[in-house]
Amino acid sequence: MKLSREFVRDGETVAVQVESLDGDRFRVRVGDNSYEYDARALADGGVRIQHLGDDRKGSVAYGAGSQQSYMLRVDGETHMLEAPASRRSGGGGVSDGTVRAPMTGTVLEVMCQPGDVVEADQTLVVVSAMKMEHKLSAGVAGTVQSVSVAKDATVDQGADLVVVVPAES
Amino acid sequence: MAEQSPFQRVLVANRGEIAVRVIRGLRELGIESVAVHSDADAKCAHVLAADHVVALGGNTAAESYLDIDKVLAAAKSAGAQAIHPGYGFLSENSAFVRAVQDAGLVFIGPNADAMDRLGGKKAAREEAVAAGVPVIPGTEQDVGDAKLIEVAKEIGMPVMLKASAGGGGRGMRRVEREEDLAEALAAGRREARDSFGDDRMIVERAVFPARHIEIQFIADSHGHVVSLHERECSVQRRHQKVLEEAPSAVVSEELRQQMGAAAIALAKRVGYDNAGTCEFLLDANDEFYFLEVNTRLQVEHPVTELVTGVDLVHLQLQVAAGGDLEELLDGHDLTPRGHSIEARICAESPEQGYIPAAGLLELVREAQGPGIRVDSGVYTGWEVPPFYDSMLAKLIVWAPDRAMACERLSQALADTAYLGIPTNVDFLRRIVDDQAFRTAEISTDMLSQRPELAVGDRADGNSSAPDDHVLAAAVLCQALAKQTGGNSATASSGSVQGSTAVWQDLNGFRLFEVTR
Repeated sequence: MKLSREFVRDGETVAVQVESLDGDRFRVRVGDNSYEYDARALADGGVRIQHLGDDRKGSVAYGAGSQQSYMLRVDGETHMLEAPASRRSGGGGVSDGTVRAPMTGTVLEVMCQPGDVVEADQTLVVVSAMKMEHKLSAGVAGTVQSVSVAKDATVDQGADLVVVVPAES
Repeated sequence: MAEQSPFQRVLVANRGEIAVRVIRGLRELGIESVAVHSDADAKCAHVLAADHVVALGGNTAAESYLDIDKVLAAAKSAGAQAIHPGYGFLSENSAFVRAVQDAGLVFIGPNADAMDRLGGKKAAREEAVAAGVPVIPGTEQDVGDAKLIEVAKEIGMPVMLKASAGGGGRGMRRVEREEDLAEALAAGRREARDSFGDDRMIVERAVFPARHIEIQFIADSHGHVVSLHERECSVQRRHQKVLEEAPSAVVSEELRQQMGAAAIALAKRVGYDNAGTCEFLLDANDEFYFLEVNTRLQVEHPVTELVTGVDLVHLQLQVAAGGDLEELLDGHDLTPRGHSIEARICAESPEQGYIPAAGLLELVREAQGPGIRVDSGVYTGWEVPPFYDSMLAKLIVWAPDRAMACERLSQALADTAYLGIPTNVDFLRRIVDDQAFRTAEISTDMLSQRPELAVGDRADGNSSAPDDHVLAAAVLCQALAKQTGGNSATASSGSVQGSTAVWQDLNGFRLFEVTR
């Protein structure tokens, strides 16, 4: 009967739990704090939210994204809200040796092949997106295990391009 | 305006917001529109807006919007009599203009000869000098160390030493004192040789701090040229305009007349016959210097439209059809009225070095209200392709004075949401709310001097720490997202993995009584 989420705020994990009361009223626990809101979904995808209990101004919030990474626009500001890293599907933090497309684009050049021994900062793939070139490296030194793209291929954001097996150190 | 246009059908050789804007202008004049598109743009906003559609194929600009043969073939197959190029792509390509004419069609823009005479920077500067338009004093080429230093002393300190082959600031240095000239010149040559393999240097007066002021003009084929006054586009990042406004807060009526007269003289000299913009740098002493002419409709044309009341696309079509500006503008008072500001909304992260973004726009909410105009090329559910410019839309406001225009723009930006991919909306609002912008103390290097405006106050790129209410709002949004059924992309998007999970969590839990 409840919806629970976790977000990272200033390095700390914050648990948020929404519980339906009657009608349009909801109780929301954020960490140790508890609030009540009147919240109504709008047909344009937004939610009108009014905090009950003080005279905060009401606002319409718009959100999109996934449980892992949620983009929220409220009170004229955009917030990128991230779930704790352990929940994420990959990326972020220490490199795992997989080179991923930072954004949807076209492969301009593949500069490695399976078996190559590569440096951490060596350019392995060059991707062109939005009229800019992005030189991608593995972030770890090691041996190229696989290359899954060729020149001129169109790649989606987050697509695996090259896998490097980190060298034993 | 009521006169029947000789064009029944016009092809728009562009995409996104400008193509939509031109198509609207065509429709208002009773002219049918033909959109062209690449494969990636098959459902782009301009395709949806047009009366007729021709696929060009391909994805990159070179394979589609820049392919002259494909565009001409599309115009012929669709039965168009004229081609409007928008901005960018083929709009300033005189070979294209000639090819259009050779195909028996009309190009909605200046004639190819005028375009050629103003196209190259060097050629344009020579035309400007001949037309009596002030240019930045200096040498046009490397005249040797001794002569360069002599000229530098003549034009007065400070000066800029620039690499002839230059670009991107390399080989460029500002010199304050005469005694530093020789050493700076030697250093500049070394840097230029290392960067460009060419150590030739030139010297110019340093115009600093500079404001970017440009004059919009419209010319017809009967020899008339009319100034539609200035726009100020001083807020730039890496030579890309970010905010544009009309009128400029620092241009007096006298200066407006002088700059307008300069632009008109140059346009008349080269036999210009459509819309164009003459760009200048303005220094703190109200001295202005020619930069270049843009021989096309510009991105920022709406601010001129809002303060002068003219429709530039209509005028472009009318003069291209042989219309006479004396008749077209008869009875129009072109004096700037009120104040207009435009913000360019782009899919990019100013917080991360302006890296551009592509991908699905899960939710688009554009501002509306009195004095607000949005020229948009996107919609909820549109997937921004990675092949073209990152601009999504332009948010333009009008208000009786500049202070209210700033406030209106700030509020309109607050009311704007483009979700799913990073945009510069928060960045734009930080600038508009900045004291320096509010007091119009702006210059072309404002953003490089104030990097915190791009980055914001926080390492994570958010404008402020998400307080409890923000986190609560996020989870309320997730809980209620499904409630509206298929009404929004957010709710219906299969790619949002989190949404499905919500309903497993909420098994059997009814958030709303849905009444139908």
